[in-house]
Formats: sequence, structure tokens, C-alpha cells
Amino acid sequence: MKKILPVILLALALSTAFAYVDDALSFAQEAALPYVKKGFSVREDAWGGDLGVKEQQAMQAQLFKGNEYWFCLGTDVKGAVLTVNIYDSKGKLVNAETTRTGRLSAVRVVPTKTGSYFAIVTVVKSPQERTGWALVYAYK
Amino acid sequence: MPNILKPVAAAILFAAASGLNAQPTPDAVDLSSFPAKSIDDVVVPVPSEVFLVLDKLGNPNWRGEMRDSLGRQTGNRAQAALLLGTVIAEGFVAVEAEDPEKVKDIGRRVLALSKAINVEKAVLERSKSIIDKADVKDWKAVRKEFDGALQDVKGAMIELGDGDLAQLVSVGGWIRGTEVLTSIVRKSYTTDGAELLHQPALVNFFSKKLETMSNRRLADDDLVIRIRKMLTSIRPLIGDEDGAPIPVENVKKIHQLTRDIVVSITSQEA
Repeated sequence: MKKILPVILLALALSTAFAYVDDALSFAQEAALPYVKKGFSVREDAWGGDLGVKEQQAMQAQLFKGNEYWFCLGTDVKGAVLTVNIYDSKGKLVNAETTRTGRLSAVRVVPTKTGSYFAIVTVVKSPQERTGWALVYAYK
Repeated sequence: MPNILKPVAAAILFAAASGLNAQPTPDAVDLSSFPAKSIDDVVVPVPSEVFLVLDKLGNPNWRGEMRDSLGRQTGNRAQAALLLGTVIAEGFVAVEAEDPEKVKDIGRRVLALSKAINVEKAVLERSKSIIDKADVKDWKAVRKEFDGALQDVKGAMIELGDGDLAQLVSVGGWIRGTEVLTSIVRKSYTTDGAELLHQPALVNFFSKKLETMSNRRLADDDLVIRIRKMLTSIRPLIGDEDGAPIPVENVKKIHQLTRDIVVSITSQEA
């Protein structure tokens, strides 16, 4: 039993970790739904994890001038406030429009140049120590 | 959700502890305050993200861009993974060309190649769905299935501990996508069209991934070595971070470089 216990605990921890990411992902996909109706295609890829309050995570993406993008963020934690903002390769904010409803946040970007952009996820406040999040993006 | 496993780990490991107050949103951030790992990794675009812009810029002859042959699989795993990437990219071209028979052929080929690298199970449903949706000419849905097939294959490879091989699928897709992009842009050159090639971070990302492969057999593969050299040759041709215009001569050179590699990927002997 002594040998099995750490394995069980690890499996339990991992299943819990991926469960909250799955929940957050459901919210991120829900955040993207209105844009699908507007003709956007949602990438099958998703990015996620967990962050403490005031912590940030950056993801670099190659965006193309001529396309329009919505980055959609979801969290599994009720009452948490998360933001996603998009910056160009020089660190300049390029958000064109932002929305936030409950656990869903989204930001629209219309790149003026083709190149690298950074999606920065921030946990502004949360009732929990660690807050699960997931991000998807849609393009048109 | 296998595709999310790696990003989850990365997010947990490289979450940046920041003292910034995120309200109000800062107009600028210092990107160097983030750990290099999270900044250096790049989300690889799917070919349709690029093709969509080309459609807006003009009316490309997508049928003329399709390859007659999807290539031969020689048994070498590196070549099979690269070939799978080119075949999936070809699927996006066939969707743009709205050619149902070609799309169905590609759907079947994706399945056969996935079998060769032991990830058939992951794309079985996708392959069927590609064929069904091509039959009814639901192009948007087919495009989504190709995107999904790409992610499923990569996810399954990562689960099998074949992250390096998964990277080769992405690289193969990017090379074929870039070959098509440069073919179209060079035929009716505009600076806006050429700007689509401004992908320095992506080229650096692929170079780094191929240079740091943990699987020595893959790293020493002739085709992989040639691709590393190709990426080194392409890097100065696609402009700097400021995005200076990319001249038509550079577009033609990139086309030749990617075309040569696609020929090798699709027809080389083991």
C-alpha cells in the first residue's frame, strides 16, 4: 500500500489538474461561440494551466494582416476575474475590442502588420489560490 | 484533451509571477520580464489562416497549386511525419480549390500515414468525417476536420513520447504551406501578399526545435538536416522584426527552397 499511495495521490492530483483545465476549456469554447456564428473558425488547439492571483502567462502567436482574430479565455473558478490582452512584438497593446461576462473574457485583434503577437493572460482576482484557465482563438 | 497536456505543463512551470496590477490594462508591457520559454514558443498557424488572407487579396488559382501526387511513404519515420504534414497542408489547398475527390483522397491518405507512425486511432474519426463532409461540400467543416486531424496526430505523438516527431508534422505542413503561399505571391506580387511571409519568430522556433531534438536518430536524419539548412537560408529573406517589405526576389528564393524540400519529402527513398 505504501508503494501504491504516492501513485494514487499523483493520479488524483493530475486528474484534478486536468479536470479544471477541461472545465476552463469549456468556458473558453463557450466564449468563442458568438464569433462562430459570425463566421469565425475556432482553432482546435487550446492553451491552459493555472495561475495565482496577479500572475501572468504569455503565449506567442503568428498573426496575419488581413485576418481578424478573437482570443477567448475561460476559467473554472466562479468569482475569478481574468483578463487576456494582446501585445505586438514590441510590447504595445493592440486590443481592438474586449468583452467580459462572468467566467468568459474575449479580445478582438485586427493586426496592422503580419508578425508575432503575445496573448497575456492575467488573474486579476480570484477566491482561490490557483485559478485554472484556458484560451482558444478564432480567425476570419 | 491530450493537446492541452503540454501547454498545461508549460503554463505551470513558466507562469510568470508579476507584480503588475492588470487594471487598467497597460498600453505597453516589457516582454523581457516573461521567462524566455513562454516567449520563445510560438503557436504555429494552420495553413488556412494564411490562405484566407490570400483569398482576400485576390482570386488565386487553387486548383493550379494542387500537387498531382501526394508523395510516397518510404518507411523512414521522419519522412513519414514530414509527409503527413505536407499531406494535411495539401488538404487545406484542396479545400480552397473545392475539389471533393481530392479532399477525400487526402482524408484516406492521412489515415494511412497515421497508421505508419502508430497514431491511426487518433485520426480514424477525423478521416471519416473529412470524407463525409467533402461529399456534401461543407468546406468550412472539412477545414476544421483537417485542423483537428493535425492537432490529434500531434497530441497522440506527444502522448507516445514522440514530441520530436510531432514537431516534424508541423514543420512539414509549414513547408508545404509556404511553398503554396510563395507560388501564389510570386505570380502576382504585392507587398501585402509578400508580408504574409514575415514569420521570423516562427522560423526561429522551428530552427530551435530541430536543433534541440532529443531523438538523435531523427536529429541526424538527412531530410531533417536539409530542413535545418533551409530554415537558415530562409531566415534572412523574410525580413526583420520591424517587417521591412519582402521583395519579389526573396519570395522566389523562398519558393525554390521550400519546393526543393517538398520534392524530397514526397519522393525520397529511405
